[in-house]
Amino acid sequence: MSVTTRALGDALRARLGPDGATDDPAARAAAAVDGCQPSWVARPRSLEETARVLALAHDEGLVVLPRGSGSALALGTPPERADVVLDLARLDAILEYSPDDLTVTVQAGVTAGALAAALAGPRQTLPLDPPGWSRRTLGGIAATAASGPLRLRYGAMRDLLLGVRFIQADGVSTWGGAKVVKSVTGYDVPKLLVGSLGTLGVIGELTLRLHPLPETEATGLLLLRGPEAAQEMVARIVDSTLQPNRLEWLDAGALAACGLPAAPAALAISVGSVAPAVRAQHAAIAEAAAAAGTRVETVGPAFWRAYDRVLAETGNTVLRVATLTSRLSAAMAAIRSALGADAAMVVTGCAPLGLLRVAVDGSEPTRLGQAIERLRGFVAEDEGGVVIERAPVALRTRVDPWGSVPAGALELMRTLKREFDPGRSLNPGRFVGGI
Amino acid sequence: MLLSPAFLDELRGIVGADGLVLSTEGRMTYECDMHTFYKGAPDAVVLPLRAEQVQAVAKLCRRARVPIVPRGSGTGLIGGAMAAQGGVMVSMTRMAAVLDVDLPNRCATVQPGLINLWLTHAVAERGWFFAPDPSSQMVSSIGGNVSTNAGGPHCLKYGITTNHVLGLEMVTGAGELVRLGGKAAERPGYDLTGAAVGSEGTFGLVTAITVRLTHTSEAVKTALAAFRSMVDASEAVSAIIAAGMIPAALEMLDEAIIKAINAGTGAGYPEGAGAVLLIELDGPRAEVETQAERAAAICRERGAISVSVARDDAERALLWKGRKEAAGAVGRLTAAYLLQDAVVPRSKLPQIMRELVAIAERHRLLIANVFHAGDGNLHPLICYDDRNPDELARAKQANEELLHACIALGGSVTGEHGIGADKAQSLPLQFAESDLNFMYRLRGAFDPDRLMNPGKLLPTHPACGEGFRPARPVLPAGTWV
Repeated sequence: MSVTTRALGDALRARLGPDGATDDPAARAAAAVDGCQPSWVARPRSLEETARVLALAHDEGLVVLPRGSGSALALGTPPERADVVLDLARLDAILEYSPDDLTVTVQAGVTAGALAAALAGPRQTLPLDPPGWSRRTLGGIAATAASGPLRLRYGAMRDLLLGVRFIQADGVSTWGGAKVVKSVTGYDVPKLLVGSLGTLGVIGELTLRLHPLPETEATGLLLLRGPEAAQEMVARIVDSTLQPNRLEWLDAGALAACGLPAAPAALAISVGSVAPAVRAQHAAIAEAAAAAGTRVETVGPAFWRAYDRVLAETGNTVLRVATLTSRLSAAMAAIRSALGADAAMVVTGCAPLGLLRVAVDGSEPTRLGQAIERLRGFVAEDEGGVVIERAPVALRTRVDPWGSVPAGALELMRTLKREFDPGRSLNPGRFVGGI
Repeated sequence: MLLSPAFLDELRGIVGADGLVLSTEGRMTYECDMHTFYKGAPDAVVLPLRAEQVQAVAKLCRRARVPIVPRGSGTGLIGGAMAAQGGVMVSMTRMAAVLDVDLPNRCATVQPGLINLWLTHAVAERGWFFAPDPSSQMVSSIGGNVSTNAGGPHCLKYGITTNHVLGLEMVTGAGELVRLGGKAAERPGYDLTGAAVGSEGTFGLVTAITVRLTHTSEAVKTALAAFRSMVDASEAVSAIIAAGMIPAALEMLDEAIIKAINAGTGAGYPEGAGAVLLIELDGPRAEVETQAERAAAICRERGAISVSVARDDAERALLWKGRKEAAGAVGRLTAAYLLQDAVVPRSKLPQIMRELVAIAERHRLLIANVFHAGDGNLHPLICYDDRNPDELARAKQANEELLHACIALGGSVTGEHGIGADKAQSLPLQFAESDLNFMYRLRGAFDPDRLMNPGKLLPTHPACGEGFRPARPVLPAGTWV
């Protein structure tokens, strides 16, 4: 580092004003990532200020860790160094909302909950509901490509992000995409940034596609004999004209955590539409359930709030398993066998997308690490993956939290990193393959 | 560009004599896509059968510094699949197989030359379809759809090509055969699949595509509403969306197009209407029926002269017949036209329609309109007499003014056709130098020698070529550095 800590503080304050940067010990401790304390915490109030911080870091060879609400800081390889934590929470303005166009432009620090409140009047929604969504920032959801149950009907951030303004590692403010719902002008830069964990640039503003809120929504719970029965039911629903907006898989642990009746497996299915269509689809689901020897328990909207809380809070270790719908019950068996028959776990997931989320309270990194490697072996043939969504540092230093990426694709990713952040100032070492 | 005999021998060795086109007549059939304004015959055309052959061609061309132009069916509208700088064209027409259909996992893997509609044909009996439906879908290839990130009437609800691509196998400009994404919904790392879709062959040559398939809906309902003016119809579009509906398609046709269609196929669109709105809803039956009634009521409230709802498939087909034949019907209006693909925010449709009328009057031109109103994606056909140079000049001027008007309203240069050679120089209307600089470098990661489809998508900078200059932040005076 070519500047002393004091000089760095002067430089930051010159760019951000006296209250825009702090080296107060409590603030630094609160901003620590995986125990790695930054020398300074920067809190820009504008994109211009954000750009100035990054330009400084670039010129001085400083390491910057961007953060939003801090809910996903345990994703990725623990950082080795942190000069500046770039806290984007003050970028919290909703810049432009056009209900007639179903689009909104927000700063990266706006939380999904704050946006939902602003959209409630015109009965519109940004249908992104990753665990704990209401407190999470939209910039953070984009950087981590986090998704939730509504992805089934509406797609994920990659499908909803129309345009993005981001600051490159050298401080250059850059725009990609468009502000209209349909555009193929230029490369699809927004998709490159979604899920890039801030390693190519820091997302500052997002233009997002909105959807109308369904007029009514109803949720049913199907209790099933086991994973095979659950998979059969999923297959039946997938190959039908039913259009659920959520179809979540719950194992016995998930049912217990949500305070629901006990069963070896269950599906939670919600339908949103006009009232007659909701009724008709629920009747069809009830018929399918009867044919499978079970029935549909109606649960209220409170179910999804409880479910979200369980996903956000359960387990010090969470794995995201990407497999195929046709292999869900096999994946359940593999998970059980890898983690041990006696392990307490909560498994949920978006069944028609073949995504499972495994939450455990792991205390033994060695055993857990071996279990993750076994699961990676299982999903290899699906070209899927097992990503550690969160876990104690001890596990994430022992096992690569991302898993392997095919060599050709990884080389392209490394080339992009070298091109856009040659000085490795943005989240170095925290992404796949040491990027 | 002169290709050496040794180079041609090597090409022949890779694809075989029957996979190589060298004759002048043969090469001339590849000199342009559907935008016949832009012509450039390749020096050689290869028709590979396998990804390994594609890779060998790419490596050979890279070694010899010869440009490569990928080509699907050649139905693009942007001067994309033509050899602006000569070189080797790689035609994918012989790589057209369905490699895998996996309905339980809602996906299929196909070769790039497969015709879009053939994939739907392969799964339709079992109740599935491939959602991207460009008007060219009976002839355009899925590889071409991926290259341009093609749209279609139904992308209002279903999204454009990129929303349905799960994975790609491609040979990069560097000659590497890579697999990006795949059947599983998530893979760690950058979303290179997302970045590559719509790159118009400037990243590399796609050799296989894994796509999402969609289940057909329980019910489809199509309605046709006639209005006195485009402005009235545009306001109805906004009102339908504001009422919380996302129709599968929301298409508009103006008076000129209606007349041309009625003169031809007898689709029977209401005579004397200034605009016709074609509304299609699909989904669960009860939803479709409720929403169709509401949409019809909204159209009546907004001054529709008539609203008719198709009662069966035959009536529905009749309502669509005119729309599908619109491009052909334009032939009855004019010998030549310029086709635009700009987008405006949906709420700005009435405004842009007023401007469009004013531009047409100012330049004494007929501008016919048939477009995807639901997502604000215009397709004005600026008609001119190709024997009259003055009229062509006016048409070009009108085209420019309209494009600028769309951008000024917060729009985009192209909604679904792509950039190609046609619109590359329009990118700076929408992007700053820093943005273009980022794109230029992004392309370099895939195609370091810039041999892939050169002259397309990225504009050339008057001073520094394709490079473009980024603007670093300006610090306040006296800032410590």
